[in-house]
Amino acid sequence: MSSPKEIMRENLWTNNPIFMQILGICSALAVTNLMINTLIMTLGVVFVTAMSNLTVSLMKSLIPRKVRMIVQTLIIAFYVIIVDILLRAYLPDISRALGPYVGLIITNCIIMGRAEAFAQSNPPVLSLWDGVTSGMGYMGVLMTIAFVRELLGFGTVLGFPVLPSGFEPWIIMVTPPSAFFLLGIIIWIGKTIMNKEGATA
Amino acid sequence: MNAETLLNPFSLFFASIITSNILLSNFLGMCSFIAISKDSSSSNGLGMAVTVVLTVTTAINWLILHHVLIPLDLVYLRFIVFIVSIAAVVQMLEMIIDRVSQALYLNLGIFLPLITVNCAILGVSLFMEIRQYTLLQSVIYGLGSGLGWWLAIMLLSAIRKKTEKSKVSPALQGPGLTMITIGFMAMAFIGFSGMLAVQ
Amino acid sequence: MNKQSLPYTIGFTFFISFLFVLFLSFAHHTTAPRVERNREVTRQRSILSALGVETSGPDQIQEAFREVKEIEREGITLFRLDDGETGVYAKEFIGSGVWGPIEGVLAVTGDLARTRGLEIVDQTETPGLGGRITEGWFKEQLRDLRIVEGTIRVAAPGEGDTDKENGKIDAITGATRTSERMGVIFKNELERIASALGVEL
Repeated sequence: MSSPKEIMRENLWTNNPIFMQILGICSALAVTNLMINTLIMTLGVVFVTAMSNLTVSLMKSLIPRKVRMIVQTLIIAFYVIIVDILLRAYLPDISRALGPYVGLIITNCIIMGRAEAFAQSNPPVLSLWDGVTSGMGYMGVLMTIAFVRELLGFGTVLGFPVLPSGFEPWIIMVTPPSAFFLLGIIIWIGKTIMNKEGATA
Repeated sequence: MNAETLLNPFSLFFASIITSNILLSNFLGMCSFIAISKDSSSSNGLGMAVTVVLTVTTAINWLILHHVLIPLDLVYLRFIVFIVSIAAVVQMLEMIIDRVSQALYLNLGIFLPLITVNCAILGVSLFMEIRQYTLLQSVIYGLGSGLGWWLAIMLLSAIRKKTEKSKVSPALQGPGLTMITIGFMAMAFIGFSGMLAVQ
Repeated sequence: MNKQSLPYTIGFTFFISFLFVLFLSFAHHTTAPRVERNREVTRQRSILSALGVETSGPDQIQEAFREVKEIEREGITLFRLDDGETGVYAKEFIGSGVWGPIEGVLAVTGDLARTRGLEIVDQTETPGLGGRITEGWFKEQLRDLRIVEGTIRVAAPGEGDTDKENGKIDAITGATRTSERMGVIFKNELERIASALGVEL
């Protein structure tokens, strides 16, 4: 069994859910045009991944095999609805901006993937940790994309103007294709560094 | 309030296929899109399955939403209810197809289990709810989105067949290059915006 | 007890669903008043913003909204703010966008000589294209714009029309259809406000 430190390294870098496994990008790329939306959205993902991992791990001996998938889905949906209710009550503006994408956390393949691959066969605390770090790995990549898109598309970082007023915003950064380009470039950079590490090791 | 909000079904249909393609402009259904588009015959099967399931589930979820959840004031449970109804529909379709035609099952049925976790399906149901579509609009939107997804995956698998053999930096090969290709496709699809003023 | 038996499977599934739904409805009902208040504050903020009143924070919004009088004429609800002259009137609207309804508030002066402001409450237009109707530069065009020939003309796409006397605004680049729809909404709403106030456009 791997140590917490190894799990972290694996989930944040060598086995990062996004650029190694290309998982779970559906629900979140659409909200990467503003950093604040991405931050809240990915925090939601971290919370749901961690808690559903913990719950699945705690209940693993109780869940009948036949309904395993549907029970896991129920657990995930349960936490997503909690996130939705909390956002509605405490962050109404962000809740409106995220719209249907909060609900789409349910179908984020990372969460289901971690529940199946890790929480099913590991103790609760370690599963919780695995969920947190997987979510963080995901958050890191998406925040990078959101940073570039917001900076070049609006000239702001987290809503604060940072570029000189003469700056001409890049319209393409606000539109969907830029998210694909940036993700492609991030995967490219990530893999280049990884290949170098592999060559020297 | 719906008097003015009626969208032209024709433009809704074409817009959901092209300019607001569920995959290229809303990023939905990416996971299976990237994995399956390596192979064009699987892409075709999956695209067909997505189209069928999208049309059926959007209609069923609309009925559930408007005749069960809203009257009972349980709209906050919609995520659970939608995903369970999608899982049920997929399971049922799989059984029906299996009994009706073996050939169809081999072409289409084997992709059905992949679909429950396809975000495009849940996504369309959620968009249908948030945009307050009527039943007819929901069905058109579901069908259009499915066809758009199908079109996008077929095009991408054709492009990938070519790019597989081209020489690129090893780090860019595979997912990296695919993402950039999808980016160009998204630009092209959005470029149709001006043409679709069919109202 | 056999965990794979049919009665256990069914019982377990029912029990867990029941538990989840119970907890969720509890969470929903405890936050419901807060969600309701958020909705009310959001609505008031939009109306105030269209009327040209700057506010920040829920308390200040509710405070400022006490100055606004809700009146009904010819079945149309208007919000009146006294400005010492003709008064300013705001009307909430729901119009048809490209994708779904566009909800917002349009405010005009009592003699319908000028618009006072526009606020978009909710819309589901394409992000980065039609969705840009919520951006400041677009709404700012409607701030104290002279109404020429009873309408607001949506001209060719541009970066925002700063001339307040020509009665026209710039459309959004790449979002011709959303811009056209906004033009239709303005026309309909101006006619409605005119008939409610009994003023010639």
